[in-house]
Amino acid sequence: MSRAQRNRLEAGGLVDRSQVLDFSFDGKRYRGHAGDTLASALLANGVRLVGRSFKYHRPRGIFSAGAEEPSALVELRDGGRREPNTRATVAELYDGLEATSQNRWPSLGLDVLSMNRLVAPFLGAGFYYKTFMWPAKAWEKLYEPFIRRAAGLGRAAEGTDPDHYEKATTFCDVLVIGAGPAGLMAALAAGRTGARVILADEDFLPGGRLNAEVHEIGGQQGAAYAAHVAAELASLPNVRVMTRTTVFGVYDGGTYGALEKVNDHLRVPSPFQPRHRFWRIVARRAVLAAGATERPIVFGGNDRPGVMLAGAVGTYVQRFAVRPGRHVALFANNDAAWRGMLAAQAAGANVEAIVDVRGDVASVLTEAAKAKDIRVFTGARVIATHGKKLRTIDVASAERGHERLYIDTLAVSGGWSPAVHLTCHHGGRPVWNEAVAAFVPGATPPGLSVAGAANGSFALGAILKEGAQQGAEAAEALGFPVPPLDVPHTSEESTALQPFWHVADSKGAAFVDLQNDVTAKDVGIAHREGFRSVEHLKRYTTLGMATDQGRTSNVTGLAIMAELTGASIAETGTTIFRPPYTPVSLGALAGHHRGKDFRPVRLTPTHEWAAKLGAVFVETGPWLRAQYFPRKGEKDWLETVTREVKAVRSSVGLIDVSTFGKIDLQGPDVGTFLDRVYINTFSTLAVGKARYGVMLREDGMVMDDGTTARLAPEHYVMTTTTANAAKVYQHLEFCLQVLWPELDVSLASVSEHWAQIAIAGPVARTVLSRVVDKDVDVSDAALPFMGAIEGTVMGGVKARLFRLSFSGELGYEIAVPARQGAKLAQALMEAGHEYGITPYGTEALGVMRIEKGHVSGNELSGQTTAGDLGLGRMASPKKDYIGRVMAGRAGLIDPDRPSLVGFKPADRTKRLRAGAHFLGLGAPADMAHDEGYMTSVAYSPHLGHWIGLGLLKGGAKRVGDRVRAYDPVRGEEFELEVCAPGFIDPQGERLRG
Amino acid sequence: MADRSSHDPLAGIAFDRLPPAGAYGAPGEPGVVASTAEPFVALVLARPGKAASVVDRLHRAFSVALADRPHAAIEGNTTVIGTAPGRFLVLSRTDADLFGTLRAILGTDATVTEQSDGYVTFDVTGDRVSDVLAKGALIDLDPVAFHVGDAVTTVIAHIGVTLWRSGEKSWRVLVGRSYEASFTRFLIASAAEYGLRLENKGSEGRG
Amino acid sequence: MRIPCPYCGERDAHEFAYLGDATLTRPDPAAEDAEARFHDYVYLRDNPAGAHVEWWYHANGCRQWLKVERDTRTHAIAAARAAREADTPAGDAA
Ligand SMILES: [Zn+2]
Repeated sequence: MSRAQRNRLEAGGLVDRSQVLDFSFDGKRYRGHAGDTLASALLANGVRLVGRSFKYHRPRGIFSAGAEEPSALVELRDGGRREPNTRATVAELYDGLEATSQNRWPSLGLDVLSMNRLVAPFLGAGFYYKTFMWPAKAWEKLYEPFIRRAAGLGRAAEGTDPDHYEKATTFCDVLVIGAGPAGLMAALAAGRTGARVILADEDFLPGGRLNAEVHEIGGQQGAAYAAHVAAELASLPNVRVMTRTTVFGVYDGGTYGALEKVNDHLRVPSPFQPRHRFWRIVARRAVLAAGATERPIVFGGNDRPGVMLAGAVGTYVQRFAVRPGRHVALFANNDAAWRGMLAAQAAGANVEAIVDVRGDVASVLTEAAKAKDIRVFTGARVIATHGKKLRTIDVASAERGHERLYIDTLAVSGGWSPAVHLTCHHGGRPVWNEAVAAFVPGATPPGLSVAGAANGSFALGAILKEGAQQGAEAAEALGFPVPPLDVPHTSEESTALQPFWHVADSKGAAFVDLQNDVTAKDVGIAHREGFRSVEHLKRYTTLGMATDQGRTSNVTGLAIMAELTGASIAETGTTIFRPPYTPVSLGALAGHHRGKDFRPVRLTPTHEWAAKLGAVFVETGPWLRAQYFPRKGEKDWLETVTREVKAVRSSVGLIDVSTFGKIDLQGPDVGTFLDRVYINTFSTLAVGKARYGVMLREDGMVMDDGTTARLAPEHYVMTTTTANAAKVYQHLEFCLQVLWPELDVSLASVSEHWAQIAIAGPVARTVLSRVVDKDVDVSDAALPFMGAIEGTVMGGVKARLFRLSFSGELGYEIAVPARQGAKLAQALMEAGHEYGITPYGTEALGVMRIEKGHVSGNELSGQTTAGDLGLGRMASPKKDYIGRVMAGRAGLIDPDRPSLVGFKPADRTKRLRAGAHFLGLGAPADMAHDEGYMTSVAYSPHLGHWIGLGLLKGGAKRVGDRVRAYDPVRGEEFELEVCAPGFIDPQGERLRG
Repeated sequence: MADRSSHDPLAGIAFDRLPPAGAYGAPGEPGVVASTAEPFVALVLARPGKAASVVDRLHRAFSVALADRPHAAIEGNTTVIGTAPGRFLVLSRTDADLFGTLRAILGTDATVTEQSDGYVTFDVTGDRVSDVLAKGALIDLDPVAFHVGDAVTTVIAHIGVTLWRSGEKSWRVLVGRSYEASFTRFLIASAAEYGLRLENKGSEGRG
Repeated sequence: MRIPCPYCGERDAHEFAYLGDATLTRPDPAAEDAEARFHDYVYLRDNPAGAHVEWWYHANGCRQWLKVERDTRTHAIAAARAAREADTPAGDAA
């Protein structure tokens, strides 16, 4: 049941009246036009009450016409797309838009919680700090639930966001931020030089105040001139105009963050289009032309729906052809507001009175007003307002005493605050400029200059000139030849203003910060209680800490504080602004990296082969690895893993170990180099042999381990753990480039090129012999334990063969070019078919290494020395290596340090848990008696019970002792037998078999 | 996947499989066409002080206009890309024994490492390629700044790549083999608004 | 932050890994007081407000270790040299 847009003016505006858009607010249906915002469309339909305030649930209306909006916050859309705290003033109207008011219960008109006003004293300045002083119990049970229900900012989305988001990077010579008069001129001046220019504006229509006010520029209407410039910019191939794009932050090196709302002006995004796009813009120079924000005058009852910034009234009339109300009055301290109101009157608004705090107002203005039957009150102030929605105001003046005016819309203007936000992002602090009664930019980020109202220049002629000049200078500084640019003529305008902040003798709550419900009285409390610096004022009262960042309230708040302290505003100073300038959706920051795309996943060469065999995969770092291969009828992973382990120990199994880091090292000095990075010696390693190595960090802790083989006199191949592959490579490059640049060693990562399959088990050699080519001898004599040879497999496929074992069984690792990996796995399956060859995963591998007592990631924790891990004897005393000196520190060679031993539960039916701490029998369970912790556990199919590895004080000399495993997380405690870390074949006969 | 809108370009594609060849994203004439190939690849590392000699030997052997800087020198079936001082990736569409060829050309001036199975290349062509790649790379890809023959080793969507511009509207991206599926997902997500046709030449591209 | 890699050109800091103070020299492990010197080398760092010379590794680029002069207050970068070149006397003018 859409109703007529009863407050839409007959003519004018920049909306497209041929396009009618349906929308609803709180379930009621209305109509607006293309080119409307939600706010302008609501006003066009006479809707003035749009929300309830944050703390006191006071009725609130539309206060502004832009990003500074503190009051008209609504929920847009629903379900996974629901978006709380959307400023109706910047939400572009689309067909089918559904908005609801927030912070009201049960309805906007009747809000039970508005009784919060009755407890207002309790919610006043500092209430967070004061209530936190109350007893904890009362806080949890009583106050917090109440405050949470009472003070809120809408409801978050439910469920997963169905849209997708993107991020992108772009580069330019000159970035112009803001497409108002200064920004348009800056972009034009820079664009005509041939420089790459980006002009970004949060609005969907370039022009800024030119669209919202009445001006003549070079013989054209302001809005028409803006369209004309925008058209020229669009025609320049080196200029990119980005509308609906807010530059929200300035970062290092000329990097700017921006959010493009690609599809917020539609009900659902167009097919395959992102909803938002996060831009990283790298600009060699930037011109900030973000304009200024009007600030109100604070007086009692200044939050009633119908009280609105004067510029907003003008904007609704001129740009949207909407009458914000039937009876309009202005309360101001400056000339610009008068001009706006006179123009609004001319366009069809019914302006009935102008109240100016100044006793002396230029007669050209007062005469013009009187000529239009507007009553003029000079030296006057608004001292009270009435009505749930504004119905009357009380005006006091020396001349006429008190008078009540029946008006429903009060335009307020206390002057303008330049949008200096982005200039603060590198720590710049705005400075007070007495001449314009505003904070203007202080130090700006490198490469960024400021033009127009953002710089404190408020007269249009000066704004155009400054924009053109800054744009040209930015391009010129980069070496672009600057052609002359004629700045079009515009009429002179007065910017006279008398600073005025607060009607001290007004009645009722006088709000400074409308979004956080901070009143002038709260500022007074902060003053009285000693929180007088601007930083204290902000935190104590929460002034300016809401999502609007106090755009309409900061300056007024500190000006009131300055009045109270008697200091000047310049002395009082201002807080600064951090990114983001306006809220940024988290989805845009993530781009397509959500869910499983959070980060890239690396697939092993046998991934598809394993998937076909039904493997369950596990993430190990960026890799997906087969964790185990369940078979039908197996009831859980443990049964599967036990089967896999038994198969390897009794016959043969295979696993893809391609994820290990693999680094080729070539050159005459590789042996010397390896001797310096490993604790043991590699220069003496024979060609055709491999050796297990341990490398330390310079602080003496183990960094990584792995085997390194010598394939030729000057050619070694190193393996690293999966987790540390990149870290080790980086470390080796550091050693070569920084520590020992004299060494002739070439490093090449070959991790991607080689697939590596391990086969292990008593019949591994037989299986291997069936896949190698005829001339390759894998007999024990030709390829003994720790042997490494090159050869061919599967009929001419190049391969590297290593006889290594992690499982403790006879084992080999076969490396083939990665695209042959799956084929090799299949060939091995066929070769081992008669032996029941079994593919196994990381879980079985882990069980076998624990049975064997080998250390792995859990033990290489960055806090263990080689000695702690039982590897101390590998260290060569004949040479220096990274970490040697620091590993020799007394604390690191203390024989009582926790070091590696094995554990069995005294009661063999108990399941061990990694992370359990060790305590002496009868010792109290406290840190003073902590003796270490369990690092790895497994169910040993070989022994038929759980086993563990752990770091126990005293280590090897405790073998045979009993300790308690204490696991308060799981509430378990039982006895353990301490044993040597090898649970199977301690002499290593199997792997030499 | 139920948690994504029907317009989500990645909806319904298993994250751990190589997305199949076909059309993705916006219907109609695709703004971007990507095809993968598996050229023969070897890494050349000049020994200390031998970078100039290596450049010279590669130049003479392949007639490529090569310098020791980040660029791609392309001649016939051979592409040589500088990725670091004295460090070159050599790609060949035809030479199955590229490793042996390079060893013979370079002698003791350089070490050569076989990498043929370590990489996959994506040939990406169309009007919107730089727009798509800009959704991953932090590199100035504007054709006015990134010229034909320029090459960068960088990261796209957390995946290390070497990227060069092989023609006015054609670019080539070298990606580690294990990342092929993830990189393809990046392309699908990022090219969705322009439409993507994905082709898979596989090892055919070698010759 | 953007770092001018001498080989790759100016790149976003995302491509780099940071190590820290680049003015330290690995002590002589054979020195009598090696342990004390290594202790300082491993653990002691100045934390200057202002000019700082530090190691950055171009992990997602040319994989060179770079000696970067950075102002810790402004992140302004005065110079970046490859480690191998930085060891020449000209490089030490940093
Ligand atoms: Zn680099």
